[in-house]
Amino acid sequence: MERPEFDITIGKDGKVRVEVKGTSGKRCLELADLIKEIVGHEEKRSLTAEYYAPDGKVRIDTKVKLS
Amino acid sequence: MSAVCVLTPLVITSWPVLASAIAGAAASMGFSIQTTPAIDENNATRKKGVETEIENSEIIAEEMGRGQRIVIVRGDISIAFGQDDRGACTVCVTGAKHSDSELRAIGEEVAGRVVQQFAYHKLMTELKKRNYAIVDEEVLADDSVRVRVRL
Repeated sequence: MERPEFDITIGKDGKVRVEVKGTSGKRCLELADLIKEIVGHEEKRSLTAEYYAPDGKVRIDTKVKLS
Repeated sequence: MSAVCVLTPLVITSWPVLASAIAGAAASMGFSIQTTPAIDENNATRKKGVETEIENSEIIAEEMGRGQRIVIVRGDISIAFGQDDRGACTVCVTGAKHSDSELRAIGEEVAGRVVQQFAYHKLMTELKKRNYAIVDEEVLADDSVRVRVRL
């Protein structure tokens, strides 16, 4: 079961750095957008390996050609 | 981790909320608050000082009286927070024993702390409204604040 977390660091210059942990893909971006809506202007965003991890709903289609 | 964002807060708020952030920043930096009535600019004493502003700020005007300010003091340094014609929060730093560059650096440091306080309280309020749990909170050695929130 996913347990998403925000790890938020607010610098003494006021800049806010947020790591979204424990989730991947679209849900991860939705959570990052939530913080952006609360705080304000986004300077930069980077995605890490976990973002690209499968969410458990991967379907693999194969075709076998019978000759 | 899966995504990392760096955000610059937009400080669009009412005067009472900003005043609360100023009070928090002042306390954390050893300043004390000196409340002053509206100032007649023509009779104000001219002191050596520099003026800067809180970036990306806008004070919602209806709750702020004309000329209203908050002044914080520490030693010979005095910092007045007010509002310019565009609605941005101004930071006017005076101190006879300091150079302009020192006063500017002090003003920018205090302005940063005000934004830090504002962002912290806004985030905590909004995340608690959504019933998210604050699982850990600490002030780091560089005076940044780290908060872990579980959804």
